[in-house]
Amino acid sequence: MRNSIKVGKWEIKRNIKNKSFIISLFLTPLIFLFFATVPNLLSGNDYDTTTTVYVNDQLGTFEMIEPIIEENNMMNWDLTETNEELPAVQERFEEEPNSAYIQIDEHTAENGVVTYVKGDDVSPQFSNQLRIIEQPLKQNQLQSANLTEEQLELISTPILFEAADGNDESKASQEETATAEIGMVDPFESGIPAAFAGLVLFSIVITGMMIFQSASQEKKDKVAEIILSSVTPGELMQGKILGYFVLGLIQVGVWMLFAIPIAIYMLDDVPVLQYLFVPETFILVIIAILGYLLFAALFVGLGATLEDASSGSNFQGMVMMLPFIPVVIIGPVLSDPSGIVAQVGSYIPFTSPTILILRLAILDEWPWIEILIGIAILLVSIWLFMKLAGKIFKVGILIYGKNATPQEIWKWLRA
Amino acid sequence: METVLTVEGLEKSFKNTKVLHNITFDVHKGEIMAILGPNGAGKSTTIRNIMGIMYPDDGCVTFHNHQGNEIPRHKIGYLPEERGLYKNVKVMDIILYFAELKDYPLKKAKERAIQYLEKFGLEGKENVSVEELSKGMGQKVQFIGSIIHEPELLILDEPFSGLDPVSQDVFKQEIKELANNGTAILLSSHQMNLVEEMCDRLFMINRGQKVIYDSLKDVKSKYANFKCTILGDNSVQQLESINQVSRVEQDGYSSVLYLEQGIELPSWLHTLPNDLDIVELKVDRISLHEIFIDVALGRSIAEEVGGTYA
Repeated sequence: MRNSIKVGKWEIKRNIKNKSFIISLFLTPLIFLFFATVPNLLSGNDYDTTTTVYVNDQLGTFEMIEPIIEENNMMNWDLTETNEELPAVQERFEEEPNSAYIQIDEHTAENGVVTYVKGDDVSPQFSNQLRIIEQPLKQNQLQSANLTEEQLELISTPILFEAADGNDESKASQEETATAEIGMVDPFESGIPAAFAGLVLFSIVITGMMIFQSASQEKKDKVAEIILSSVTPGELMQGKILGYFVLGLIQVGVWMLFAIPIAIYMLDDVPVLQYLFVPETFILVIIAILGYLLFAALFVGLGATLEDASSGSNFQGMVMMLPFIPVVIIGPVLSDPSGIVAQVGSYIPFTSPTILILRLAILDEWPWIEILIGIAILLVSIWLFMKLAGKIFKVGILIYGKNATPQEIWKWLRA
Repeated sequence: METVLTVEGLEKSFKNTKVLHNITFDVHKGEIMAILGPNGAGKSTTIRNIMGIMYPDDGCVTFHNHQGNEIPRHKIGYLPEERGLYKNVKVMDIILYFAELKDYPLKKAKERAIQYLEKFGLEGKENVSVEELSKGMGQKVQFIGSIIHEPELLILDEPFSGLDPVSQDVFKQEIKELANNGTAILLSSHQMNLVEEMCDRLFMINRGQKVIYDSLKDVKSKYANFKCTILGDNSVQQLESINQVSRVEQDGYSSVLYLEQGIELPSWLHTLPNDLDIVELKVDRISLHEIFIDVALGRSIAEEVGGTYA
């Protein structure tokens, strides 16, 4: 173990000092930021410039409209109440091209038509954005129709579609309650821990790939034999897994330094930190770490069979694709997080980390038995893969000048 | 002399091919012991079995009364045949990593590293990235890495391969110096001329089997007999009839007479027949190189001569 720690420390040290690691460490979140913000900047002039909206309100709805506009971050309207009529305002648009005029009057109440005029500089999306005041206007209309409370409620309740399962009443009722609660449960509450765990998983799958690089490079640089004169192949392998695990954590740490302040800033009213530091995060992170160990074992073994990653056979290419299998079944899992695809996905070791994290983020009631079975299968697979990887690593790392064939790997595994 | 390493009855097979047959030798403190043999003879396999990188099918390796997994690896230095360095790290960092793996105090390692870099003409290179080094410089750094922890036993697999003559001399000097200071050295090579000048004992191996195992002095006196090269028009029969000639090789105008062991050269020269056609005559000794080439080609004068005189 002491030797493994030495190897681990070395792997950390040489990566931390490596320019490309540092660049990717800081560049990745910056790239994310770039793609998150730039498209908005390009299209969103309306973000920066405030559109002055003059409202001639003869129905008294202005007080209902104002808070709605203010709460909406997407719209940058400066509402001003006015008594001016349309012809008078028209001239003003020449001086203030970035302003609009809305007329809400008897005509609106009777026919449901709102007349508006906008200046040349007003965003083309203005007409769509206008829809936001549809609800208060409708409410005003209904109120003035002298309906009873019950009638009002009936009209304003949207139509829901519910799937009924004849055999499983409890499930149906469960879904019912879930649907009923949808409005109350904050999606961020389970989303933030899951996003964090997803980040951990993503980061360590990336570092898992670095293990592959490192094992392959070790072969290429022919350092392995010198190292193996001091440590056993098992210790070297463990050291690498350990070292890259810590590197993955460092990576997550740095990314979180970017992500948390941004999340707090963007999600103004969501208590990000409060949602993050919950017991659920712990379980999700454990699942992510198990996922890392599995893929690390896979990649370290694979790396030891390849001297030149670009000339690997289809077999090795297929193994490299294993972490991406979950992408294939993500659709069915999202549409039915308790369905058969989701359940099977939770039991297959290569998909279970991602699928479990995904399901736990969506589901309000955690399927504890499935989680435990999934984790148990993961643990057994990790043990098995570490053993197998050890066998491959021991022989593979010392073979120079060629890539191992699947037949050879099979022979090593049986040895 | 104190025995540091004992190899006894080493056997190893790959698939169904036996690559080592009953390899037995030992290495003493302060001596340079050479394993010689052609490519594929089993030199590196023997060394890898000693280093515990491979495990023998049979036989055992003993280092100071320790066997197998109990061998204290930090007392052994190893320079493999297939060797390299991590590319994107500093020279000093990688030397210190090797030292750390051997549990050698880092402060001392740093001092030694700087001394050795200076000695090998690499002063000021400690903070240079490995990828900026030339191949020869890289080899020197690898060598420093293998001796940084003051090993009691140093195993060098083909230490001279890929080195220019100047660097070869530097390495040779350093290896001799280490041996003088008490390090037991086991090196493998196929470059006879280099080994001939420096080793104390040698183990010649071919197709996984021992061919010669003796001290250099004895090998020379046993096998490196005189040979006489004559340019002239002479028949093989005539040459073979000369006293104390064990074998004749003729290639057109040139004939090589292999002489028997222990002859008195001046008196032998007097026995040459007067009617011999001599345009040119040269007498020298069979070198290790020739013994080695014969071994490699499977012809082996060594075996013949050895058969007669062993």
